[in-house]
Amino acid sequence: MKQLISLEINGEVHELAVAPQDSLLRVLREDLGLIGTKKGCDSGGCGSCTVNVEGKAVYSCMTYAMSVQDRPIVTIEGVGENGKLDPLQQAFIDAGAVQCGYCTCGTIMAARELLATVSSPDEEQIRHAIAGNLCRCTGYQKIVDAIKLAAANSA
Amino acid sequence: MTNRSVLGNSVPRPDALDKVTGGKQFPVNVVLPGMLHAKLLRSPYPHARIVSIDAGAAEKLPGVKAVLLPQDVPQRKYCPVYFVPTLAPSMVQDMLIMSDTVRYAGQPVAAVAATSAGIAEQALELIEVEYEELPAVFDPDAAMADGAPVIHAGTEKNVAVNPVISFGDVEAAFEKAEHIFEGTYQTQRVHTCYMEPRVCVVDSDVAGNLTVHSSMQHLFGLREKLAFALDMPEGKVKVIKPAYIGGGFGGKLDIGYIEPVAALLSLKTGRPVRIEQTRYEDFISTTRNPIKVYLKTGISKEGRFVARYAESTLDCGAHATHGAEVINVHGMFGILLTYPCPDQHWEGKTVYTNNIIGGGYRGYGSPQGAFAVESQIDEICEELGFDPVEFRLNNSYQQGDPHPFNPAAKLDSYRFQDCLQQAAERIDWSSRKPAGSDQGVRKRGIGLGCQPLWVSGCVGFPDIYEHSGAIVKLNRDGTADLSTATVDLGSGQITTLCMIAAEELGLAADQVRMTYADTDTVPFDAPSHASRVTYSAGNAVKAAAGEAKQRLLEVAGGLLEAGPDDLEVRAGMVCVKGSPDVKIRVADVVERAEAPFVVMTEEGPQPTNLAEKGTIIGLSSMAPPANPSPATVEFVEVEVDTETGQVDVLRVVFAHDLGKLIHPAGAEGQVEGGFQQGMGYALMENLVFDADSGACLSSDFLDYKMPTAVEMPVKIESIFIESDEPTGPFGAKSLSEPCVTVPAPAIANAIYNATGVRVRELPITPEKILTGLGRL
Ligand code: FES
Ligand code: FES
Repeated sequence: MKQLISLEINGEVHELAVAPQDSLLRVLREDLGLIGTKKGCDSGGCGSCTVNVEGKAVYSCMTYAMSVQDRPIVTIEGVGENGKLDPLQQAFIDAGAVQCGYCTCGTIMAARELLATVSSPDEEQIRHAIAGNLCRCTGYQKIVDAIKLAAANSA
Repeated sequence: MTNRSVLGNSVPRPDALDKVTGGKQFPVNVVLPGMLHAKLLRSPYPHARIVSIDAGAAEKLPGVKAVLLPQDVPQRKYCPVYFVPTLAPSMVQDMLIMSDTVRYAGQPVAAVAATSAGIAEQALELIEVEYEELPAVFDPDAAMADGAPVIHAGTEKNVAVNPVISFGDVEAAFEKAEHIFEGTYQTQRVHTCYMEPRVCVVDSDVAGNLTVHSSMQHLFGLREKLAFALDMPEGKVKVIKPAYIGGGFGGKLDIGYIEPVAALLSLKTGRPVRIEQTRYEDFISTTRNPIKVYLKTGISKEGRFVARYAESTLDCGAHATHGAEVINVHGMFGILLTYPCPDQHWEGKTVYTNNIIGGGYRGYGSPQGAFAVESQIDEICEELGFDPVEFRLNNSYQQGDPHPFNPAAKLDSYRFQDCLQQAAERIDWSSRKPAGSDQGVRKRGIGLGCQPLWVSGCVGFPDIYEHSGAIVKLNRDGTADLSTATVDLGSGQITTLCMIAAEELGLAADQVRMTYADTDTVPFDAPSHASRVTYSAGNAVKAAAGEAKQRLLEVAGGLLEAGPDDLEVRAGMVCVKGSPDVKIRVADVVERAEAPFVVMTEEGPQPTNLAEKGTIIGLSSMAPPANPSPATVEFVEVEVDTETGQVDVLRVVFAHDLGKLIHPAGAEGQVEGGFQQGMGYALMENLVFDADSGACLSSDFLDYKMPTAVEMPVKIESIFIESDEPTGPFGAKSLSEPCVTVPAPAIANAIYNATGVRVRELPITPEKILTGLGRL
């Protein structure tokens, strides 16, 4: 039943056996120990599990692991270079956008797609980009501030 | 009050770095060697007796290690609520881990532990349960009617608790009242929607001792409830404190089914057992109880409250759990104590139905009360021509009044009137137009909602734990370790407590680290709930830090040849008061205290002083001195599309009377997140159930709508009215809950102001608005 596939995650290629129904989320968390990607609902409703596939923000709980072979995947563990935080990560700290933090990594991954395509997004673009990432702690205001700050700091 | 160098600054949260890089320390990440995964089989019927269960086929499935059935669990009835003693007379002990009767659709009837969650799930399908269906009732009024199904033997009319509170002579007061208003206000069932699921890992050793990891709001409550339900001594249960959890909001304030089930499966197998709830299971595990409030109010000619009569009917579902306490908090802080009124009578009923059980949720009964009280004030003002701000100013408590809940105390730091005036000015209240007068399809309106009196913990409530403890230990590098049982739910408990310790010790905020704790090693703390941590745990942390500081000054005094009373600590230095140049580094003092008696120096071995030896440490365990009341006011501006019934919240202004502010950005974050929850409650959130089967129909985030970044207003403005609470740690009292309580009435009142439509039933959906406008 299981099939050997290869996944490119954070620049590293992993060979692993997965079942057809295995979600990328399950494989990341349970097979690869990449626990920064969170499960909030497992049904495409919360965004805690967001990762980047070929630069696009996707829900890893709704993505079959088999469907993303040979498509570069980035998780929160692959964000930031040379041991330095990504501007988004730093901005989330500086803007006070982190409370319980359970939504944080997913939201950062969603915002990454936005900042890769729009260098200085406006309020509405930011809010739409993270509309699929539920947060129950912050009311989103400081998350939006953080994304603006990251955009300004990356300019 | 002393000067503050740390408090009042938005220092970086100590847990933020970990959380932006992956958040390794959530309980959901706990993995132990040899760990099994368990799943619960849940009843499809809302009310049934189990005739038989056959788990033979499940047991034979490869990978299945243990099965748990009702006959395997101790039949010891308990109350799952963390913050009360298990046998508290004020609560109801009506739960079993599993029983032969199910009382709501989704109640667990069996469990399987297997080598993977997938195998456990497969095994559940092999369990054969024969049920005898019993008649079910879902409406609390129907449940109280003659001939209704009996949900718990021994209760009358399915009423679990029935508190009645009276002041003065309400009948006489109504006779004298100039005007009388009455109305019925209904709230719905909503979920806290913590993002991290409820999850636990329980391990056991050969002697039957348990070690528990769980995403929950109270270490010691979990230990007590778990030991009781399993009928074992508390000393055999150790609960490990999670570094933080992924949200709680009251939704993790009681023991679930998962912890005792995992414990029993671990005892059976000798292996660690993990249970993670699915989002569906979370949605049916806890809820804010719906309450129907009938409210009748007598008003004098001058516009003062003179009489109030209220009846509140709370639907607690299949078990009383929090419903036995929510009703009291609702009656007191949601209705009776909101504004002074000499003659009042209130009766609450917590009613069993075959709906899901309730839970804690920020506000704990006050949102349901405030929706009634604050909506009705708006109706009164509209009818009698009073200005709603003036009306409340004329009807409020005053600073210095005796505290209406704990009359031995005074409302020393009470600033409700300032909140009202400053927030009214900010929103430009005087520009508010008459109700429904805005022209055009999209109509704007402004509304107001208040929580005039709230708590900083639970001192004064019967049966509720309210003490805290802390250990503060100084390190040779001049830093301090703080350990407490306080769980950080996300709202910044770690940050706040570290800042308070740092302030007391004279260290920088980042020199204090919150460290490991479990129920074996730290003093008791009541849960992270009831807006209590800053005030109650803060006082305990300050005391422990103060004790450590005292010892630090004694040792430093020997080195500086000064008495401890002549010394102070500032910025990591101990110095002589008035002679700041005579000083020594905290690190050097600790080094000296920890050093051997004889130390090597350039001049060779030198004796030091035995009296200065020993780790510099402070310990506290204490009840807080009082329960000071914060106050909250909120104005919102909405725009209602009268063709679609859609409501946009355009502007939000909060004012909080919170004592001294500790962390401005953290406080704003609390309020902004609180508004999201309150706005969801007002406009969209609703757990919906099938009318016949009782099955939850809104058990994922596609069906259960909460505000996203797009629906939320762009800016939520917070005004913090500071005052010096004399009993608080460095003047602080509390903040957390009223910001969730006030949005629903504020929004309802704003919708009325925009459209002239009064909706007395939450959530205020477009359909209800269109119906009110006569368009449906
Ligand atoms: S876990 Fe994937 S969207 Fe919620
Ligand atoms: S910070 Fe808690 S869910 Fe977003």
